[in-house]
Amino acid sequence: MTGPAQTVPRRPPAQVMTLSRLGSFHQCRLSFVRILTRRMAEDGWSFTRPEFQIDGSGVGHAVYSAIGPARSYSLVAFAHDLPDAQRSDRVIAEAWDATFVLFDGVPTADDITRLGQNVPQQETGRITETELTLSRANRSVRLWEHVVSALAMGEQPDAAMVSEIGYLMRTTAVYGSGKFGAADREKIADRPEMQVPFQAEMLTVYLIRTFVRDMVNHMAQVKGGAQAVPLAPQIARQLGIGNSTGLGMAPFIVNHPVLFNNWIVVREEALARVRSIERPTRAEIDTFLDILARSEVSISRWTSAHPLQIEKLARLRNDLGLLRRYIEAGDLTGPSMWDSLVTWSQSALSEEGQELIVSLVLEPYGPLIDGMAHCMADNGQASCIDGAMPISRVKALLKHTFGWALDVNWDDPENCARAWYVSAEKLEPRLGERFEEPVADYEQPLAPARDAAKAHAALEDWPSETAIADFLIQHPEHRHTIRRAQVFPRAPYGEINGNTIGADVLPIDMLRAKLSFFGATHFDPRSDRWVRICMYAGAPYPEDLQTTNADTWVYPELTA
Amino acid sequence: MGLPRAYGVTFSLNETEAMARKAARGAGYGWGASEDVGKAVRWLCVQGLDGCAALARLLPYTDSHDPAQISPRVDTDPWLADPGPLCPIYAGAAFADRAHLMSNKGQNLGPLRQPLLFAPFVAQVACQKGVTMTLSCGSSTIVTNGQRISVADSHPQIWSSAHVSVGGHVSASAPLAKRTSPDMDAWDLLAIFAYRTYAPATEESRAKGAGSGTTDND
Repeated sequence: MTGPAQTVPRRPPAQVMTLSRLGSFHQCRLSFVRILTRRMAEDGWSFTRPEFQIDGSGVGHAVYSAIGPARSYSLVAFAHDLPDAQRSDRVIAEAWDATFVLFDGVPTADDITRLGQNVPQQETGRITETELTLSRANRSVRLWEHVVSALAMGEQPDAAMVSEIGYLMRTTAVYGSGKFGAADREKIADRPEMQVPFQAEMLTVYLIRTFVRDMVNHMAQVKGGAQAVPLAPQIARQLGIGNSTGLGMAPFIVNHPVLFNNWIVVREEALARVRSIERPTRAEIDTFLDILARSEVSISRWTSAHPLQIEKLARLRNDLGLLRRYIEAGDLTGPSMWDSLVTWSQSALSEEGQELIVSLVLEPYGPLIDGMAHCMADNGQASCIDGAMPISRVKALLKHTFGWALDVNWDDPENCARAWYVSAEKLEPRLGERFEEPVADYEQPLAPARDAAKAHAALEDWPSETAIADFLIQHPEHRHTIRRAQVFPRAPYGEINGNTIGADVLPIDMLRAKLSFFGATHFDPRSDRWVRICMYAGAPYPEDLQTTNADTWVYPELTA
Repeated sequence: MGLPRAYGVTFSLNETEAMARKAARGAGYGWGASEDVGKAVRWLCVQGLDGCAALARLLPYTDSHDPAQISPRVDTDPWLADPGPLCPIYAGAAFADRAHLMSNKGQNLGPLRQPLLFAPFVAQVACQKGVTMTLSCGSSTIVTNGQRISVADSHPQIWSSAHVSVGGHVSASAPLAKRTSPDMDAWDLLAIFAYRTYAPATEESRAKGAGSGTTDND
C-alpha cells in the first residue's frame, strides 16, 4: 500500500484495538457488501431467476444466478413450512423457514436434487466442492405476516413497521471456507471477484434478499389472488436482511490475526490518507455533508432495546448535535480540515461518534481508497516459527504488543472470570464462567493477552541470547503464543488490546468489529454476547443495480 | 459426529486440518503443536497421502502423553527421547525450529514413530532453504523439495532410526489434491479424539453460554 505523501500517520494499534473502540466501529466504504455491489455494477453483472418452484404453502425451491464477466454463481434456495414452535435463531436450531447454498456456476437438475436432500439439514447434511456457502434464515414473524396480509388485501404495508423491523428474514449463519464439505477458500481466492474476503458470503446474502422479496410477493399472491399487489419498490428497497449472530464470530477475529490486521490496517491507512489531504475540494466537502445528513437519517432509525446500546445511541445522537455545531461554527474550513475534524472528535465525542467520523470522512475519497480493498485478504503462507530468534527479541515483541498485560494478575478471578469453550452440542462456541462451570479444561486459546503474559514470565529465567527453539523444546505449551508473537511485526493491528476473558468482557464488541467490516448496520445487541443486525437495507435489487447506485445506498436518500 | 460414511464422500482441506488439529489437542498436545499437526496433515493430504491415517496410527501411542518423554533431546547425536520413541510432531517441530543450525552432515534421529508425519516439517525446512531433502531409514526414503514429496515405502509404524540430509530427487508429478478422502476408520478415530475438546452441554451453558433466547417468533 503506497499512496500520496502522507503527513498524518495511522492511528496507533494501542488506540484502535481496544474492545470498546472495536465495539464502536461502523460500516464504511471498505465494507465487504459495498465492495461487492460496486464491483458487480462496474463489471456489468447480470442476474436471472431460472427457477421459482414454490407451491401455495410456501414450500419448494428457487434458483438465482449472478452472472459476472468470467463466471456465474447461483443461490439455490429451499423454502420450508416451519411451525412457529421450531423457529429459533440459535445456531443449535434444527429447522428453518428457508435454507440456501451458493453454487459455483449454474446447478443442474441433479445438483438441485442432491442439494435438496442435504441443504435443509444444514450441519447434518453434506455439501461439496461445487458449493461455496451454506446458510439459513427465519422470518421476522411479525413483519412477514403483516406484509403478506397487507399485500394480499391490495395494500402496502405500514411504513413505520417496515422501518422499525427493517427485514423480512434474518439469517442465523452463513458458512463458507470449506465448512460442512463446501469448497475451500483456496478454490476461489484467486478470482478477482472473490479476492476480497467474504465476497461469496456477501453475494449469498444479497441474493437471499431478492429471494425473500419474491417469496413475500408470492405468498401474498397465493393468499389474495387477483386482489393482491406486489410490494412497492421503494418499500422493498428499504428492507434488508437481518442477521442474528452469536459467539461464533468472536473467536474468528482472534484466530485470524493477520486477516483481521489486514482489514484494520487498510481502514487506518485510508483514514491517514484522508487526514493528510491539505485542501479538500468543495465537491468533496459537499459529498461529506450529504452523506452526513443521510447518515443522520439512518441513525434516527437505529433502535435497540439493550441498555448498553441505548446509552451508546444516546451519546451518538448527542455527538451528531456536537458535530453539527462544529460545522456551523465554520470549523470545516481551513487547511487539513479532515485531520482537524478527527482530532477534535477524539476529545469531544464518544467512541461511537469518533468511529462514525472515520467512516464519514472516507466517503468522498473512493479513488484514493477503494483500490486498497484487495489488500484486505490474507492469502499468505502458514506462519513458520523462526527458531533462531533470540529470547530477548521474543520478549520485546510480547512486551510491545501486550505490555499492559504483563503487569496484570492473571490469577485474580476478576481477570480470568471467563473461559471460551466449544460445546459438544452442535460444536457451538460459548463463553463460560471459569469458577462456576466445569469448562476450564476445555478452554480454547482465545486469551492472547493472558497467554502472552504467561509466556513472558516463563522466559524470564532464560538467557536473553538463547534461541527460542531451545525454550520451545522444554515449553511446548507456549508454542502457539511464540508463533503469534512472531507475527506481530507484520500484523500490528492483529491483536485486541484488551482482556478477552475478564469478568467485564463484552463479546458483542468483538462481534460488532467483524460485522462492521461486513457492512452491517443497526447493531441491536440482545445480550452481552448476541447481536442482531441488518444488511443491504437500501441496496438496489439486482435488476436495478448500476454504477450510479451501487455504492452509497447504505445511507438513506433524503426526502424533501 | 453425524458425518456420512457414504461412498465417495470427500472433505475440504479446511475440515481435514481442523479435524487433525482438534484430534491432536484431544490427545493432549498443546495448542501450538496441535496447529502444527493440522498443517502437517493438510500438507500430506494435498500431496495425495493419507495424513489422517498416519495421525490415527500415532495418537493411540501418544494419548495423554508427557511431552518430555517423547520430545527429542537435541544435545545428543542422534536426537533421542527418553524413554521414546520420538514423536514425529515434537521431533518435527524441533527440526523445523532448528533449521538455522542444520549442518551439511544432516541430522540423526533415534527411533521415530510415524515418519510420514515428520515429513511436512522437513518440507518446511526444504522450502525455506530452497533445497531437496531426504529422510531415510536404511532403504526406506521420503524425499521432499518443500513443494512435493516422494515416499518410497509403505507407511511404516516406526523407524528404528532416521537420518535427514540435503539431497535426493522428487519424482512425484500427480496434481495436488484439492479434497481429501481419508480412510474412514481413521477419520472416525480422529473424531473420537477431537470430541474430547468439546465441553459437555449443560442446561446452564445452553441458556447462558451462547447468550441468546430460545424463541425467534418476533
